[in-house]
This record gives sequence, C-alpha cells and structure tokens, in this order.
Amino acid sequence: RAAAAMAKLILLWLKCIILYNAVDAVFEDQVGKFDWRQQYVGKVRFSHFDTHVQSSKKVLVATENNVFAALNTRTGELFWRHVDKSGPEGNIDALLHHGQDAILVVGNGRLLRSWDVNVGGLNWEIVLDSGSFQKACLVGQQGTVKHVAVLEKNIISLHYLSNGHQKWIENLPDSETVDYQTVYSGGNGEVYALGIVPHSHIVIIAYSTDDGEIIKQISVEAPWLSNIVASCAVIGQGVLICVDSATPSLYMYNLNPNMDDLQMTQIPLQSLGLEVAPDFQPVLVSHQPNSAHQPLSEFFLQLGPDNFLLLQFNNGQIVTLRDFKPVRKLFSIFLFHIQKHYINLFSAETGRRLLDTTLIFVMDPNGGKPEKIYIQPFLKKDDSVGYRAMVQTEDHTLTFIQQPGRVMWTREEALSDVVTMEMVDLPLTGTQAELEGEFGKKADGLMSMVFKRLSSQLILLQAWISHLWKLFYDARKPRSQVKNEVTIENLSRDEFNLQKMMVMVTASGKLFGIDSKTGSILWRHYLNDVPSNAAFKLMVQRTTAHFPHPPQCTLLIKDKDTGLTTLHVFNPIFGKKSHVTPPALPQPILQSLLLPLMDQDYAKVLLLVDDQYKVSAFPSTKNVLQQLQEMASSIFFYLVDSSQGRLSGYRLRTDLSTEQIWEVVIPMEIQRIVSVKGKRPNEHVHSQGRVMGDRSVLYKYLNPNLLAVVTESTDTHQERSFVGIILIDGVTGRIIHEAVQRKARGPVHIVHSENWVVYEYWSTKSRRNEFSVIELYEGMELYNSTVFSSLDRPHAPQVLQQSYIFPSAISTMEATLTEKGITSRHLLIGLPSGGILSLPKMFLDPRRPEIVSEQSREENLIPYAPELMIRTEWFINYNQSISRVRGIHTSPSGLESTCLVVAYGLDIYQTRVYPSKQFDVLKDDYDYMLISSVLLALFFATMISKRLAEVKLLNRAWR
Amino acid sequence: MWHRERIPLLLAFVQSVLVVGWCFTEMEAGPGAAMSTQTNGDRFKIEGRAIVPGVKTQDWVSTARVLVDGEEHVGFLRTDGSFAVNDVPSGSYVVEVVTPTYRFEAVRVDITSKGKMRARLVNYIKTSEVIRQPYPLQIRSSGPHSYFMKRETWGWTDFLMNPMVMMMVLPLLIIVLLPKVVNTNDPEMRKEMEQSMNMLNPNPELPDVSELMTKLFSGSKGSSKAGSSSKGTRPAAKRRAKKLSMQNNSADLDSWDQ
Repeated sequence: RAAAAMAKLILLWLKCIILYNAVDAVFEDQVGKFDWRQQYVGKVRFSHFDTHVQSSKKVLVATENNVFAALNTRTGELFWRHVDKSGPEGNIDALLHHGQDAILVVGNGRLLRSWDVNVGGLNWEIVLDSGSFQKACLVGQQGTVKHVAVLEKNIISLHYLSNGHQKWIENLPDSETVDYQTVYSGGNGEVYALGIVPHSHIVIIAYSTDDGEIIKQISVEAPWLSNIVASCAVIGQGVLICVDSATPSLYMYNLNPNMDDLQMTQIPLQSLGLEVAPDFQPVLVSHQPNSAHQPLSEFFLQLGPDNFLLLQFNNGQIVTLRDFKPVRKLFSIFLFHIQKHYINLFSAETGRRLLDTTLIFVMDPNGGKPEKIYIQPFLKKDDSVGYRAMVQTEDHTLTFIQQPGRVMWTREEALSDVVTMEMVDLPLTGTQAELEGEFGKKADGLMSMVFKRLSSQLILLQAWISHLWKLFYDARKPRSQVKNEVTIENLSRDEFNLQKMMVMVTASGKLFGIDSKTGSILWRHYLNDVPSNAAFKLMVQRTTAHFPHPPQCTLLIKDKDTGLTTLHVFNPIFGKKSHVTPPALPQPILQSLLLPLMDQDYAKVLLLVDDQYKVSAFPSTKNVLQQLQEMASSIFFYLVDSSQGRLSGYRLRTDLSTEQIWEVVIPMEIQRIVSVKGKRPNEHVHSQGRVMGDRSVLYKYLNPNLLAVVTESTDTHQERSFVGIILIDGVTGRIIHEAVQRKARGPVHIVHSENWVVYEYWSTKSRRNEFSVIELYEGMELYNSTVFSSLDRPHAPQVLQQSYIFPSAISTMEATLTEKGITSRHLLIGLPSGGILSLPKMFLDPRRPEIVSEQSREENLIPYAPELMIRTEWFINYNQSISRVRGIHTSPSGLESTCLVVAYGLDIYQTRVYPSKQFDVLKDDYDYMLISSVLLALFFATMISKRLAEVKLLNRAWR
Repeated sequence: MWHRERIPLLLAFVQSVLVVGWCFTEMEAGPGAAMSTQTNGDRFKIEGRAIVPGVKTQDWVSTARVLVDGEEHVGFLRTDGSFAVNDVPSGSYVVEVVTPTYRFEAVRVDITSKGKMRARLVNYIKTSEVIRQPYPLQIRSSGPHSYFMKRETWGWTDFLMNPMVMMMVLPLLIIVLLPKVVNTNDPEMRKEMEQSMNMLNPNPELPDVSELMTKLFSGSKGSSKAGSSSKGTRPAAKRRAKKLSMQNNSADLDSWDQ
C-alpha cells in the first residue's frame, strides 16, 4: 500500500512537472527573433530642442497623451519617456525649458515638475494650490534664470528653479472681476501679470522678483479688447502691443514702471500702408529667445489667411521689414515661412532671406497638411546659419528634415492611438496563384490537364532554381549588404502563414498597413474628413483567398454625436481605395453585421441597420438580395441601448424590414449595461466535451449566439455596489444564467469564448482584483450533437463558477486563438506595469478541486488555490514593456500551435505565442548536431563491430 | 486554400445565423463615476525611496514609475531614487515600483482621513493582517526580473550522470572489463566460467556470445533478486526515494500556493 501511495505521489509530481512545463515562456535566444516593439509618444503639443550643449542630440516633446519624452534628433528614437496618468489629471499644460531642466505644469496647474533632461530623472515635484492654471514663465535676473512664475486664476507664485520651493505667493487683486491671462518677465527683476476686464480695461501689475511686492498697479483703458492672449504680444524693451481689427490699428503700451502713461498709443494700420483681410482676426507673434533677456523687437503680424508681415519696433516707430504676401502658412516661434513645400530662413533684424537656407521637402501624398514646425538653428563651422526642421502634420506625423531636404526620420505618432485592427493574410505569389488556379479550373481534356500539370511543375522548378541562385549570390556578398527589405511588391505568404498584414486604424483617421514580421509600415492612408469623435469598425469582406479578386476591407466611420456613418472600402494589402462605391447612408446606423453569405465575387455581405430599423446590404447586387431573402428567416440581430438599459432582439423579414422578437430591460435606476460581449466569429472549438476521470464525457454548451452582458450598479457606495453578469441567448432572448458579484465594482474586463466567460472586477470589500470564471456544460449527454439551434435546446446548461484573487490591476484581456482550436487556450492579460501575462486557462477552471481526489488527478486538474500568481517568466514580452495597453489582438496562423499576438496602446508589440508549445514544428533548439552525430556514431559502431565479428569468426575457423 | 474557408459542421448548420455585431450605442467606462465621489476632501502624499543595490540610480530611474493601485495614481522617481506620489486621498493602496529590469515588492499603504500613514506587507488573502513596514517607504530591489526559461542544454556530463545511463554503462563496463581482468586463455579458469555459466543457463547448446550475454543479464537480474547483499541496501534506498518524492511534492504545493 505504501508503495502504491508512493507511486501516486510520484505520478502527481510528474504531472506537476508536465503542467509546469506546458506553460510557455520565452527563451533568451528568442529575443527579437519574431517579436518587435515600437514606442510612440502621441500628438506633440510642446516641443523644445535641447540647445544648452552644442553637441546635444535631444528634442523634448510633451504630448496630448500626457507623455514627456526626449527624442534623438539623429535617429528619431527615444532617449527616455515618462508616461503620466491618462486623462485630465496628467494633462501637460506647459513646458518650459532652461539648460538641463525642463519644467512641466501638469493637471491643470496642480503639479509643477522639473526633469533632468540628460538622465531623464525627476528633479523635484511640488503641488500647487488650485487647479486653475493660466500661464507660466521663466523669470530671469541679470542674465541668469533662477525662478519660474506660475499664474493662476487668483494667485501668482514664484518658485526656485533649483528645488521647486516657493519664493513667494501673492493674491491677485480683484480676481473676481479681472481675468488674469498672462505673465511676462523681461529679465529685469520684475514679473508682470496682465489681466483684462473684457471690453473695458487692461490691468497690469508689476511684482518685484525678490519679495513679491507690488511695484506698480495700473489700469489702462482698452474698450476694444476682449482677449489678451489672442491679440496682444510683448516686444522689445517691455512694450505691450495689441491689434484691433475693428479700427483697424495697433495699440502700444510701455510696461516699464518708470513710464506713467494712462493711455495706449494708437497707430492706425493705414498709416503703415496696411490692410486687414475682411472677416479676419489679426494675430501678433513675438519671440523671446532667452527668458533672461528681453524679447526681440521684431514681430509678426498676420493680416489675412496668407498675408504675413515682419515688423520692427524702433524708438516708438514701427517699420515694415518684409511683406510675405504669397505665403501659404506661417508658423510662429521662428522667423521663416513655408511656401508650398519650401522653408526659407530670414534674418529677423533685416527681413532679408539668408543665403542657402532653402529647404525643400516633399510631403507624403497620403498624409495630412503641415500643422506646426519646429526649427533647430545652429552655426556651422564657417559661421553661416544652418538649421533642421521638425514638421508636424495633421495626421500627427513628425518628420525631421535636414538641409537641403533630406528626411532624417519620420515618426508616425498616429500609431500611439490605435483604435481597431485586423490581420489579413498576405496574397500568394504569382507562381503560387498559378498552381492554385490549376486546381480551381474546370477540367478540359486529359492532354491539356497533363500539359498544365507539367508546365506548373516547370514553373516551380524554375522558381526553386532562381531561389537557389539568389541564396548563392547573397552568400558571396558581405552580410551587411544583403538587404531583405520588405516592400509591397515582394510581399507573399510564407509556408506557415506566419507573416500577415496588420491593418491598423487610428483615432486620427490615418490607416496603416504594417508587415507583421518586421514592423515596417508598408502603406499609410490619411482620411482627412474623419470627425474627431468618430467610432470605427473594421471588417474584412473578402480575404486574399479569392484570386483574382482583390482582398477588400471596409471601415465604418461613425460620428458619435449624429450617428451618421460613412464607409471607406479599400484593399488591405496595398491600402488603395477600392473602385467599389460604398452606398450613401443618409440615416444614422445602429448596428452592423457581417454575414457569412457571399456574393458572386466572394465578398461577404455587410448588413447595416439604421434608426428606422430598415436594413441595407453592401454589396447589394441581385444575387445578394436573393440570397438574403432565402436566408432571412434565420438572420437575427440584437441592439443595445445602454442609455435606456434595453437589449432587444430582431429578426430579418424577406423584404429587408425587421421585426422585434424579444426585449430585456435592465432597470436603469439600479444598474447600467457596461459591455456586451459575444463570441468571436472566427473561433473554432475542436473538442465538444471534456473527458472526466471516470472516462465519461462532460459535454460543453457551445452556443454561438450567447451574449455576455456586464452590468454595474449605479450606487457606487462600497458596501452596496455590485457587478452583474447576464448570459443571454441572442436569438431567443432567453436568459441562460445570471450572476452577481456583491461588494464589487468595475472596470470589468471580460473574455467570452468557447463555453466559458472570464471576467475581472475590483472587490471593494477586500480591496483586491478578482477573477471569476463561468463554464457552461450540457451534461453527460448531448441533446443534438450535429446541429446547435437556439430555438431547440430544452435543457438549461449546467453552470460552474469559481473565483480567484489576482495580485495586480489589469488593463486589458484577450484569449489566444488558433486555427483549429486544438491547442489549449491562454489568457493574455495586459498589466499596468507594461507586461503581458500569458495565463493558462487551466488555472481558471471552475472544476479545480479543493480536495485532491483520484479522479481530479486523472483529469489533470490543479488543486484550487485562491490566489493566481504572476510569474515574470510568463510575460510574453519579457522586458519590452508596453505602456497603457488598450487592446490585444490575437489571430490564428497557419500552424495550429502558433497564435499571433499584437498588443497596442501607446506602444505596439507583435509576437507569437505557443500555448501548448510547438508541437507541430521542430523547436528552435532542436539539436541537429546531436541527432546526426548519434546516427553517425551508431553507423560506424555497427560497421566496426561487423568487421570485428568477421575477424573473430575467421580466427575461430582457423583454430 | 479552400479548406481555410471551411466552417466546422457545428457552425455551418446553425439554423439561426446570428452575427455578433458591434454595438454602436456608446457606453461609458466605469471608473469615472466611481471616482467622482472622492474628489472632495484632503489629499495626501505617499513618500519613499527605492534602492537597487549596486546599481547607479541614473541607470534605472528613467524607466521607473511608481504605481498606486494600478494606474490610479502615478509617481516618478527622483534622480536619487526617492519618490513622492502627490494628490492621493485617504484610503488603502498598493504601492509598487515598476521597472522592466528590477523587481520590487509591492507595499500596502494605509492613509487615515486625518493623514496618518502606515505601511504594511501586501497580503491579498488575509487582507486585515498587519506586518508593519517602515514608512516613509524603503523599497529594496530583490534583483533583476527573470523573464527567460533556461534552455535544456545538452552536455556530456548531464548525459553521463543520468541514472539510466549509469545503470546501462556500469554493467557494460563489467562485461567488457571482466574478461580482460580474468585471464580467459587459462584453461582452468575457462572451465570454471563455463561451469558457472552452464549453471545459470538451462540449455547449453547455444554457444553464441551475444545470447550468452543476454542470458547473463537476465541471470544476474534473477540472482540479485535472490542475493542477500542487496537486501540490506534496498529499504534505505526506498526510504530515501520516498523522502525525495515527498520533498518534491511539498515544493510543488508551495509553488501552487504562491
């Protein structure tokens, strides 16, 4: 008996080892072999070149995604990057840069941070009093900058640059009536706060830098002025200059405390010979190159959409230096202009164009128009001026250009905000297609068949020889010269369909086609008429499998406010817009569904349901409409109205109208619908049941129409809040199961697949994240093993549920997907730390027993443990952490063992996972040497022993 | 490529084709509403210091962040390794220092409504258990993260030290070496050996060497079973094996519990 017990123990131990080994992990030599990461920062809001050291290669960027980073100006790569909290609390309001320090105002003036630009570490961080930030500026004195002034709605404060300590803080007088908008310092020991009472007067207060004492406080009449920031600027030796379009004239006021003017000096624009374009609000732009010194006395005046003037203020006189009449667009900060695609540098003092400073750049025809430009000027060795330009375009692309127009790098920052994506199979090459065509065509006689066979065989031979020749040719060249660059022309499917085209849709409306193997962008297409609050849905209507028909993707773009929808139909391999004209959709669209029906050109049918519950089909040929009529009785769809808490099911009628067949109302006062998850349509389930310990089969409840509805309580009190989950049949509206997690709140992350639902929530009672798994089983017998019908399933499924503790918050969750569904499933969990955890579904199994029994051991069930563990070996992205993971896309490959994974958020990461290890191909570490040496050794051993035996026999015979 | 388009039987004959579509109705994400109740009231600061022994702070601080309850509050590390997370309302939080290279233990920090702070070990199972930690936090790295599995490398020593190989090689050596040590040319010796072999071998007609060997093998196995010398060692070995397996077993249980 003891021996038997021991045997069992050993068996258990062995099983544990097997289980442990079954969990996939990355080996060190696989790093970068089939995975890649691209890091982004987002749309740039502020940017400064690091110029305090001549050799510095940094450009600092602060973005709308609350990221502060330093880029390498030579390569465009990141030196370092700091990702703050998303949302308004991490919003970057201002970026000031002085020497080694970069000062950021974060969260609507809540925090003031100083960063060390070289190391990328924090110098200091302080909390400011209230969250009503207006403006910040650096304050210099006697040529050195030591302070930073922060202006808020009702206070002004001065902080030391070295440690952030507050030097003084003062309340602004009359802050209820006066709107203080900007702060200015000219480097002479005073800080000016400029406020305005609209259409009445300007308030100017000068503070002493030393103790915050008010040196001068004055109100100046300005009944024509409504906004200082929009129409005023400070130039020269502290002269406030404003422009008024009504009069039209310029107004000047000297801020110097020794001057006691009570009026602004008016200079009519006509006296300068200038005219404002009708309906145009003129804009003034000044430049202060060093905050310890005064601003330049030259400034820009924009009088029309394409009319810029360079003016100079000189001893109370304004002189026109240059008139940039034909300019298309002019950018602030530096004195240059952009005309079509030229950049020229002009001297600010004289207005003359500098020689050899023309920079020509070619805009990407598939990109947007230029929006902002940042110039890095430098002195060349021969004392002439050189410069580099960083151009930001509407599609969030950064392009860094060097004279005379060489693009050094581009960053597609639109990819920091991927909304949805698909992976599309690559097309076959010409020869592969030829072969496929042979099998597809109808037979026309024996001889021609034989001939065709031979010719295709010949083509293959030719291709093979040319491949060999190329290999041989490449082998002779040095390694570095061999370029295996992927271009659209040489794209073709590989043996195992591991290389695919990633079609990515970004929030800015730019579409990308990325090669999944290398991560290089193969095509890009900017849709410039996309509304800013658009929702997107990408569908593959025709795959590459239907040669010679081109593959086709359809992007649904819906304006969230109006509900109006447009379709963009394109070829996912080349990114070109398709010739197929999409239907015009005058009505708001409620729901879209891609049917498995195909038209005669093998394009799947897309149904669109509008707010009148009328259905339109795309494509809508006769063939399609006929098929739809035949199928209509079996086409069902559902609508969710989360604002009313209503779920309703509809059926299609043959005349393409609809009929409501069920409705479930979730009371809005108590709970609201957070998400509705169906199963993925391309998911395959290989085994219909699970074999139990006693060799009986427990059949899975595989309802393809099942929906998982997640609700959250409206009451957010931690004792009364709850999370609900409802499993509902999408065809009949039958509620299969309902579960409530008390003392829990969202955000709920959910994965719904096969016969299980896994969801994660926050337990308010125990203050921890918990996972719960629900599995549905039909029982020991299948009701109808050939067909699943929602309308004919009398028995309710058995429901098993179990919950676990998860020791981290999660960002997103997805399950692996393989071609045939034989491979075991893993959950891919994106963590806030940037790791992507591959957790075997085996750990989330409601049949995990608390007490180990003979049968559970037989079934390979892991004994129940309340806490799931996070092992860093299970991170599929090892140290390549991914910031703010928003989605994980899984896609099957041609190999059953392999699942392609793309995680996107601020960064993009692509890799492959093998949930059950690589059972269908030889592993990377397969030891060819060992196998061949053993074989050889055996061969020689037999030879030698044979020889020896012969000798021995001969000897014996002689004896 | 037609087989790719083939849909499994189960799905193909589904009577009711329901395409799980995309819900257009916009849904609000949960946390916004839940957080709004906490905006009023005092805000506090969580302070501490992270240390990686033997590594300069400049080398790792630029990739590090301090996460409080996931990404609810975010702090950054100063160039000397210290950190402060501002604007945190009272409550109980899990504070983690996150870097892709070094591993830090998470700490739970409790803040009372008056701003009193304490730090304790994170225990998700017994959430009320208090094992005090120093506050301001002192978080010391326990080394670099281990992301990679070891490849099963193949070495001669592994191969030779394998018990199976040992079991095979030792008898082989005996078989090969024994005839060399014992002089087979000596007719007396030979006779003796033949005799002993005949004793083991029931049918002496087969003179083939290889067959003799196998016989010897099976014979020696039988003899060892009966042999008295092995009797003494066996139970000890058995005990040891049992102990080993139990150790392994408990180790595994530990790993599940983690």
